[in-house]
Amino acid sequence: MDRSYIARGLDRCATRRFLMWLLPWALLLAFGVYSAGLCLVKGLNQTNMDNRFAFGLWIFLDLTVIALGAGAFFTGFLVYILRMHELKAVINSAVVIGLVCYSGAVTVLMVDVGQPLRAWFTFWHPNVHSMLTEVTFCITCYLTVLAIEYLPLLLKNRRLRQVPSFLVFEFELHRVMYVLAGVGTFLSFFHQGSLGGLYGVLRGRPFAFREALGVWPSTFFLFVLSAAAVGPSFVLLTTWLVEKIAGHQLVERPVMQKLGRLSGVLLIVYVLLKAIDTLVWMNRTTPAEGFSPQQFYGFEPFGVWILFAEIVVFGLLPAVILLDARRRRSQAWLLTAAGFACAGVALNRFVMTIQTLALPTLPFDRFLSYWPSWQEVGTFLAVVAYGVLVYSLSYRYLILFPQERDLKAR
Amino acid sequence: MAAKKPARYGMVIDLDRCTGCGACMVACAIENNVPPANPEATERTGITWMRVQRLGNGRPFPDSRAVFFPILCQQCGHHTPCVAVCPQNAVEVDAATGIVDQMPQRCLGCRYCMAACPYHARYFNWWDPAWPAGMEKTLNPDVAPRMRGVVEKCNLCHGRLHRAQAKAAAEGRREITAGEYVPACVEACPAKAITFGDLADDQSEVAQLARSEGAFRLLEKLGTESKVYYRSERPWVHQAVKSGIGKEPQRG
Amino acid sequence: MFPWVNGFKWDVGHVVFLGAFYTVVMIVLATVVRAVLRSRRHFRAEKVDAIRWRQDFHDLPARDRRCRHELNGEVDSRLCENAFDCRSCAKHPEFERAAAARTDLPKGELFGFPMPLDRLYHRGHTWVRKEQDGTLSVGLDELGARLIGKPERLDLPEPGRHVHANGTGWSAGRNGSMVRVLAPIEGTVLATGGPDQGWYLKLKPDTPKPDTRHLLRDAEAVRWMSRELDRLQLLTTRGACPALADGGALVEDLGAALPKNEWAAVCGEMLLEP
Repeated sequence: MDRSYIARGLDRCATRRFLMWLLPWALLLAFGVYSAGLCLVKGLNQTNMDNRFAFGLWIFLDLTVIALGAGAFFTGFLVYILRMHELKAVINSAVVIGLVCYSGAVTVLMVDVGQPLRAWFTFWHPNVHSMLTEVTFCITCYLTVLAIEYLPLLLKNRRLRQVPSFLVFEFELHRVMYVLAGVGTFLSFFHQGSLGGLYGVLRGRPFAFREALGVWPSTFFLFVLSAAAVGPSFVLLTTWLVEKIAGHQLVERPVMQKLGRLSGVLLIVYVLLKAIDTLVWMNRTTPAEGFSPQQFYGFEPFGVWILFAEIVVFGLLPAVILLDARRRRSQAWLLTAAGFACAGVALNRFVMTIQTLALPTLPFDRFLSYWPSWQEVGTFLAVVAYGVLVYSLSYRYLILFPQERDLKAR
Repeated sequence: MAAKKPARYGMVIDLDRCTGCGACMVACAIENNVPPANPEATERTGITWMRVQRLGNGRPFPDSRAVFFPILCQQCGHHTPCVAVCPQNAVEVDAATGIVDQMPQRCLGCRYCMAACPYHARYFNWWDPAWPAGMEKTLNPDVAPRMRGVVEKCNLCHGRLHRAQAKAAAEGRREITAGEYVPACVEACPAKAITFGDLADDQSEVAQLARSEGAFRLLEKLGTESKVYYRSERPWVHQAVKSGIGKEPQRG
Repeated sequence: MFPWVNGFKWDVGHVVFLGAFYTVVMIVLATVVRAVLRSRRHFRAEKVDAIRWRQDFHDLPARDRRCRHELNGEVDSRLCENAFDCRSCAKHPEFERAAAARTDLPKGELFGFPMPLDRLYHRGHTWVRKEQDGTLSVGLDELGARLIGKPERLDLPEPGRHVHANGTGWSAGRNGSMVRVLAPIEGTVLATGGPDQGWYLKLKPDTPKPDTRHLLRDAEAVRWMSRELDRLQLLTTRGACPALADGGALVEDLGAALPKNEWAAVCGEMLLEP
C-alpha cells in the first residue's frame, strides 16, 4: 500500500502490521497528552511537586534524556569534523534520536513551567549570568539545527526525492552539513555543560555546589564529558533494540564495537575527573561552607552507597568493560556495559536534582521525600510514545541505516 | 538633588522574645493579598511569606527547650542566589533600599530560584488564587495579587515603603522618617520581637542590635550577607543552630 | 535581547553572550540561505538531472559501481569515482592507452542471449545507435527488456524535450511500482517509440559528432553483459552464493516470474536506481 514510499530493496513489514505496532504507542501518547493537558489547564497542583521539591520527575528525566540524546551531536562531530566515516552507519539514526530527545524535553519543559506563554521572556530579558538562560538559548538553537539536520533525511524519502526542488535542496544541504555539525557541537558543548552548571552554581545547596574554573563550576565540564561518553552507548543500545524489533541486522558489528570503545574511553576519563571532583568537594568546598559531607549522606535512603553506585558500579565498571576489546566483541558484555553507562548518567542527574532538593539546608529543615503523581508520569510517557512513533515512521520511510541493504545481501 | 546614601533595610529578630504565636504570619498574609489556601494544599504547597519554624534542643523532658524562628526572605545582599539564577531577570536587588524585589509579572514559573534559595523563603502559586465571596473586600489595594504559576516571596512590604514615600512627598518632605515605614510583621508582633530599620544607618537601633553580642545570621558561611539577623542570649540556641541540618523531627 | 529593551546592559557578559548567540544564528541562517540560493542556481542551469544521477550513484551499493576497466580485467578491483561518466574521468584515457593492444574477437551473443554489436551500450542497460541521417536511436538492451517485460505504464518524454546523459530517459511501470531508465546520451527528443518498435527514443544529438567514449562496445560490452547476468543471478538468489546448479538462460519476462516487491528491488538495482 505504501510501498512507493519505502526505499527500494529494504524489508519492511506490511502496512497493516505497522499500524498495529503504532496503535498502542498512539494510545499512550493520547493518555500522556491528556495528563499534560490537565497540568496545563488545572495548574501544576496536578503534580506532586511542592515548594521544597521545586524540581521533580520532569526535570530529572529532561536532563537524562538530553544527556542520552548527546549521541546526535557527538556522532555528528566524529563523522563530519573528525571524519570517522565508519560511523556514517549510525549518524542518521543518531540524528533522529537527538531530535526526538530534544523536542520531547522542550515540550515537557513547557508543561513544567508555571507560565509557558511567557517562555519568550527569557529571550527578551535575558540574565546572561544565569545558567538557565544559557540553557534556554542553546537548546532552542540546537533544536533548530537538529531539525535542519533531519531535513535531508526526510527529503531523501523515495517519493519526496522525486520532487526536483527537494532533491536539489537536499544535495546542497548535505554539502554544508559539516557547518551544521560544527555549530551543533559548539552548542551542545555549552548546553550540556550549562545543564550541569545549573546545579554547580547553587551556593545555597552545598550538596550540589562546586568550585569554579573561570565562570563555570566543575559540574559544567563533568556534564559535557558524561553526555559525550554516554551518547555512543545510547546509540548502540537503540541500534540493537531496533535490530531486535526489525528482525535483521542493520549495522556492521565493528561499528557497534567502535561506539562501545568511544564510550569506554570517555567514560574512564569522566570517572577519573569525577572522583577528583568529589574528593575536592568533600575536603574543601563543603567544609568552607560550614558543612561536612557526612551530613549529606546521613539520610536514608540516600546513603554513601549512592555515591559508590554512581561512580564505581555504573561508571568505572562499564568503562573497564568497554575498554576491553575481547569483551566488546561479545554482544552481551557490550550491551550490558552500555546500559550500565546510561544508568550511571541517569543516576548522576538524579543525584543532582532530586537528592539535592531532598536534603535540608537548615537545622529546622527536614529531609523530605517526593513521589511523582500519575499526571507527571503520564506526561513523560507521552514523550516516550512520541519518540517511538517518530522513530518508527522514520525507520520505515527513510533510510536510517545505510548499511542495511548491503547487509541484507550477505 | 543631594546624593542620598542608599538604604539597606533589614531586621533583627529577638529569638528570646518570639513566642511562636504566628501573628506575623497572619499579618503578612493579609497585607500582601496572599490567597487562602486551596483545600488540597499541604504544608509544603501553601504560601507563607513569613513562616515560623521551631527548633528544639533535642533533649528529653524536663530539659527540652524550644526556640521559634520566623523565616522570611533574608534579603541577601551579596551573591544573592535567586537574583543570580533567574533566567529572565524577574528578581532584582533594589539599589536604593537593598530590598530583593520579585516581579511576578515577569516570572516564568521555572522555579529555579526556589531551588537556589537555601532559606526556602520562596513560594510558588500551585493554584489560581481564589477568595471566598465577600473576602475580596479585605484585599489591600496597594499590593497586586499574583496569578497561578509564578513565584512570590517577602519583599519587606515594599508597598508600605511606597505609601510612606508618597505621604512624605505630599507633605513636602524628601525623606521618610524612621518609623514611617514598617512591614506588617514588625507592626503585628505582640512581643515586639522584630526590630526593623536601615542597617546602613549606623545610629539606628537595628544596626546597633545587629552588631551586638548574640546576633547572628543563618548560613553565614555561604556568604549571602543576608539582612535578617537573629539574636539570642541563650547559648544553647547558638549551639542548636550550628548543630547541623535536618535536626528537627517531623511534627504534626 | 536588543539594546532598546529595558534592562539591557552593555557589559562584558552581555556582549559575549549575545554576541555568541547572534553569531550562531547568523551562521545557521547563512548556511540555509546559501543552500537555498545554490539550489535555485542549479535549477536555472538545468542541473537537476545531473544532481539526481550523482545522488543515485552515491547511494548505490558497491557491487553496482564497478569500473568498466575492472570488468575488462584491466585492473583487479576498482570502484567508479565519476558516476560512470568516462568522458570526464581523468583515469579513463590512461586505461584506454594501456589497453590499445587488445585483439580478442567479439561475439554477437552470450550463450544464446542476443547481444547485437552494431550499437553502443550504456551501464544502465540502454543502447545507442548512430543512424544514417545523423540522429541517434536509443533502446533497451535485451537484459533490460527482459527485466521490465511488458510494462503496464510507460512515461516517455515529449518530443522537443532535452535529455541529459545519465539523466532520466523514460520510466516504466510494472507491478505497481515505477522504475526509471537512464538516458545513455544527451540530445533532443525527436520521436518516441516503445517495446514493439524495438527502439524507445529518437534523439537529435547536441553536436554533430557526439562523444560516446563513456559507452561500451564490442568485446568490452559482451564481457560487461556477462558480468551483469552474474550480478542479476546474485540479486535474485537473495545473497546466497552462486552454486554449481545455478545457470541457464534468463526468462523472457522477469516481471512475471518474481514476486512484486522483489521485482521492484531487483529491477531498480539492475537499472541503477537505488
